[in-house]
Amino acid sequence: MSDSPKMTFIEPNGTRREVKAPLGHSVLEIAFDNDIDIEGACEGSMACSTCHVIVDADWYEKLPPASEEENDMLDLALGLTGTSRLGCQIDITEELDGLVVTLPQDTHNWQSG
Amino acid sequence: MDKAKPVYLDYQATTPADPRVVEAMMPYFHDQFGNPHSRGHSFGWRAEEAVERAREQIAALIGAEAREIVFTSGATEANNLAIKGAARFYGQKKNHVITAVTEHKCVLESCAQLEREGFQVTYLPVQSNGLLDLEALKAAIKENTCLVSVMAVNNEIGVIQPVAEIGAVCRAAGVFFHTDAAQAAGKIPLDVAAMNIDLMSISGHKFYGPMGVGVLYVRRRPRVRLVPLFDGGGQERGFRSGTLPLPLCVGLGKAAALAQAEMAEEGERLTILRNRLLKGLRERIPEAALNGDPDTRIPGNINMSFAGIDGEALLAGLKNIAVSSGSACTSASIEPSYVLKALGLDDALARSSLRIGLGRFTTETEIDFAIGEIEKQVEALRQAPAAE
Repeated sequence: MSDSPKMTFIEPNGTRREVKAPLGHSVLEIAFDNDIDIEGACEGSMACSTCHVIVDADWYEKLPPASEEENDMLDLALGLTGTSRLGCQIDITEELDGLVVTLPQDTHNWQSG
Repeated sequence: MDKAKPVYLDYQATTPADPRVVEAMMPYFHDQFGNPHSRGHSFGWRAEEAVERAREQIAALIGAEAREIVFTSGATEANNLAIKGAARFYGQKKNHVITAVTEHKCVLESCAQLEREGFQVTYLPVQSNGLLDLEALKAAIKENTCLVSVMAVNNEIGVIQPVAEIGAVCRAAGVFFHTDAAQAAGKIPLDVAAMNIDLMSISGHKFYGPMGVGVLYVRRRPRVRLVPLFDGGGQERGFRSGTLPLPLCVGLGKAAALAQAEMAEEGERLTILRNRLLKGLRERIPEAALNGDPDTRIPGNINMSFAGIDGEALLAGLKNIAVSSGSACTSASIEPSYVLKALGLDDALARSSLRIGLGRFTTETEIDFAIGEIEKQVEALRQAPAAE
């Protein structure tokens, strides 16, 4: 039996955290399970952009394209890049074993204020 | 004709607001005032409703969705936001922008700023009729091109660029296409879907709306992303922070609705007037040459050179009509128009040019009067001994 897939979070200070990435779990759930500092204020209901992650360019191409709703929320994310996604919308598959994402410097919660 | 006022024939500079636009705006200055971003009370909700109605009216004019319309202070801001915003967002991977030499100053200066930031910019020449050569565009697109910015209608000579063809070339190449439609919106049919336009700038006061408001159309599918020009409350999908000017938005919406309803009829009427003007000037003034393509142009503009005449002197003599010369005053001197020079006119001929703009409120009587005035002045200047 092969090991569970893994993924890596790069924290804003540059620290790399490799963690287990169970199939079917979202990047946001994996972050929560491993005490990675992602806010995820709306807990995956796509009402905020606080689980914004910057996907490693090579991995970005392997992800299914973002939906309209995800793109709408991303428009509101601070520090948006060409390879930005919402962590709650990336579900781990076999192909994503080894995924690398960077946490942005800052996030903006559009639910508050 | 009002004898006290000169006849206004400078509709490319600005247009008077349509009285119906003014009427639509009035209530929103006082009785129905409100901050459209206020969430907690009916003043805000009503204001928001009015803004959203205006957004829909503008979207309908160009075949867009209402949520793709971003209000700005005018076309200069919209052009800055589109060009700098897109280039700065995609610049890490794609740092090349293509535009044309006859673009409006605010497009050229935005590109110049990008060059100072390290971007590459290609300035395409135009043909002697003022139109872009599509083959030259195709040849200029590179692997690292992120944006092509070409105006829909030129502000000096009124020629209509092949927008749909440019859009098709850009879409096929995977490059975003921005068009400055300040002189086109409300004058000629525009359809962002059929023309593959990703970003489009519009100005209110160029088509009978109020000054101080414009829009940038920003495509959602495929999604175009922009780095905003300034920071704030994140209004307008984060693209343009700042409280929306409620009466101006309403006025722009009304102007769009009027233009959509009346464009065809107005175009026909202006074409008749324009042809009358052109025929009159040509018949009565020798060596009067039309600048820009004779056919592919909006009906409300002619730009003519009168060989041997100094445009500034001509302008100074034309006290009873309000037109523009083919020159632009810079801080230091009067330079011949870079647009006319790009068509191949020499300095002297470029300097001898007049831009005459017709519009919604222009009458046949005014056209006949203008022909007479221009004829008289040109004749007088041509007979006068050249100043030493």
